[in-house]
Amino acid sequence: MLRSGKDYIEVAEKVRDVFLDRGFRPIIVVSASKGVTDLLIQVAKGHRGALDEVERRYMDIALEIGSAKLIRRVEEELKKLRRITKSIEEADAALVDYIVSYGERISKIITVQALENMNIHAFELDACSVIITNDVHGDAVIDYPATAVALEKVYSVIKDRNYVPVIEGFIGRTPNGIVTTLGRGGSDYTATAIAALLKLDKVFLVTDVEGVMTTDPDLVPTAKLVRYMSYVEALEASMYGTKGINPKAFEPLEKIFSSKVLIGSWRLFGTTISRDIPESLRGPKVIMIKDTVDYSYIAIVGEGVSEAKFVRDVLDIVISRGIEIKGLQSHIHRPSIVLYVDKEQGVDILKILHKALFEKG
Amino acid sequence: MVRIVVVGFGSVGRAFARIVALKKRAIESRYGVTLNVVGIADSKGMALKSDGFSEYELLKLSEVPRSGVNMFSPYAHNFVDLGYMYDHVQPDIHVELTPSSYVDGEPGLSNILFALNRRTHVVTANKAPLVLRYGELMDIAKKNSVQIRFRSTVMGGTPLIDTVMSLRSEDVERIEGILNATTNFILSEMHDKLIDFDEALKRAQVLGIAEADPSLDIEGVDAAAKLVILSHVIGRNIGLNDVRREPLSKIRLRDVVEAIKEGFVIKYMVHLDVQRGDAWVRIVRIPRSDAFAQINGTLNAVRIRTDTGEILFVGKGGGGIETAHSVLDDVIAIALSIEGGRR
Repeated sequence: MLRSGKDYIEVAEKVRDVFLDRGFRPIIVVSASKGVTDLLIQVAKGHRGALDEVERRYMDIALEIGSAKLIRRVEEELKKLRRITKSIEEADAALVDYIVSYGERISKIITVQALENMNIHAFELDACSVIITNDVHGDAVIDYPATAVALEKVYSVIKDRNYVPVIEGFIGRTPNGIVTTLGRGGSDYTATAIAALLKLDKVFLVTDVEGVMTTDPDLVPTAKLVRYMSYVEALEASMYGTKGINPKAFEPLEKIFSSKVLIGSWRLFGTTISRDIPESLRGPKVIMIKDTVDYSYIAIVGEGVSEAKFVRDVLDIVISRGIEIKGLQSHIHRPSIVLYVDKEQGVDILKILHKALFEKG
Repeated sequence: MVRIVVVGFGSVGRAFARIVALKKRAIESRYGVTLNVVGIADSKGMALKSDGFSEYELLKLSEVPRSGVNMFSPYAHNFVDLGYMYDHVQPDIHVELTPSSYVDGEPGLSNILFALNRRTHVVTANKAPLVLRYGELMDIAKKNSVQIRFRSTVMGGTPLIDTVMSLRSEDVERIEGILNATTNFILSEMHDKLIDFDEALKRAQVLGIAEADPSLDIEGVDAAAKLVILSHVIGRNIGLNDVRREPLSKIRLRDVVEAIKEGFVIKYMVHLDVQRGDAWVRIVRIPRSDAFAQINGTLNAVRIRTDTGEILFVGKGGGGIETAHSVLDDVIAIALSIEGGRR
């Protein structure tokens, strides 16, 4: 999460220590600074105060990184943004995307400067010149063939050089040149699409936590890191709301090339997600709870959990603890089962199941 | 090795620097010519490197702030002096990308004259010098045995100029078309969204399609200038003032609505009748079935009628990337002729 100049400097240091010094050749995908996308959506709705806040945040970061060139670049971008917002009353979807794209664009400029300050040969790669999408503003889908052509041209030049391209996540453009955005979590989608199209080995998704957890640690403090997951498990978990996984991000990996996805923080990339997992790793990976108006449901995700033996094991736990459930659901071809339970008892049941399934020794 | 200087470093110049950086090696292996950018100038300063900027340096130059070439240490100079530049880096090709002024053609005109008189080939995306002094510039180029190329000035995304130049035995009788991306985008927006001119213009500005000062586009000067250049290419030589212009700002939403109701669309078109010397830029109603009715957004199109038939060109009108590619095409063409001569 990029909040301050210090965070950008840390990213640059980590890129050097974790990737470059170990012989990796990274392509860096950046998000906007924390909170900026929401502020820019406010700006697009006509809230001028939000623009002041965006300006303040990015100028503070630029000043902290400290380069005359950077400060001027950031000022220029902010000036353009101010001019745009001055001339419109209310933005339609296309203009919202255009305004929001400044969050990533400025973040990219700052990241490049932070890397350059470490003598890393970074350069700006414009998402609008390589990520081609359809025209569904706010939730665009990447056009893989068109994007592959544009990406390969750039990649053919940089692949045997020590250049580090930095590209905006979340941003693309239509074939007609109109800026689009890829929806929430779109930066992950940009990263996996680039990796799949260029057939790169690994995608590192850097977050605040060390990986995907077996459940929400705020509810169950004994939650553990999930070391390995398959794409289908990750996708299923994301559908039930697991943090840190964006369902769209798996599409290019499923369709084009199966890069490994490592989720974690700079300290530890604790979760590795790959197309297939060995037989020995089949079984429950994640358990989570969601409330509806009338009841709660608890979803257990993992390849094999909808098989009879696992369902029986879960029911054994339920019955032996005297838990009442309102229903049980599983679908063919889906790696999950769902237990419907009383809302008041939901978290307690979650804890019991978590303990039984994930805390064995 | 071909030595290039770039004068004017706005969006086209930056796109040019990036493309050279990214395509330099591919061009080397495909055509056997090495393109070396040895100098870049903007309004405030210059960056000079006589053995040529590396690919990475070109990428970084494209990231300097506006008018910030003088920040590109250690190659930066805090002044602009073409004589100094030429003495230091000895260019073979001068790429002229300063903005157009149709009053006196400056600063592009003086820059191009300087280059030609120093026997340096010129590639220009700046239209004004050609519009105002085409014949003179061609004569000086010829006298000094250098080329001046300008493919990017009219429908930069297509080889229109080259094709028209190659029509040596045909007589061009009529040129008509849509030659300005900004105004075509504005009209497309008015038709699609049924919004009035001011709002469509604002949208074009916000999306970076129209300039902050759009007057050259919406008063038809840009389209007229392109028509003038085409007329020179076919040897008809009309002047900018010979082109009658109707400003697009006259258009009202109700005109658009009425046209749609009656099965027409409104386009902002150029027209040159070669025999009669009649040239104009005008708001025109055309039937929905007309080929030009399908040319929307930032697309441009030109139909050229000759004594043997018709040619229709459709392509992207503007945009930094497209224009920069056309400039690079011209640079490669010259580089090939230089290298051929050297061999």
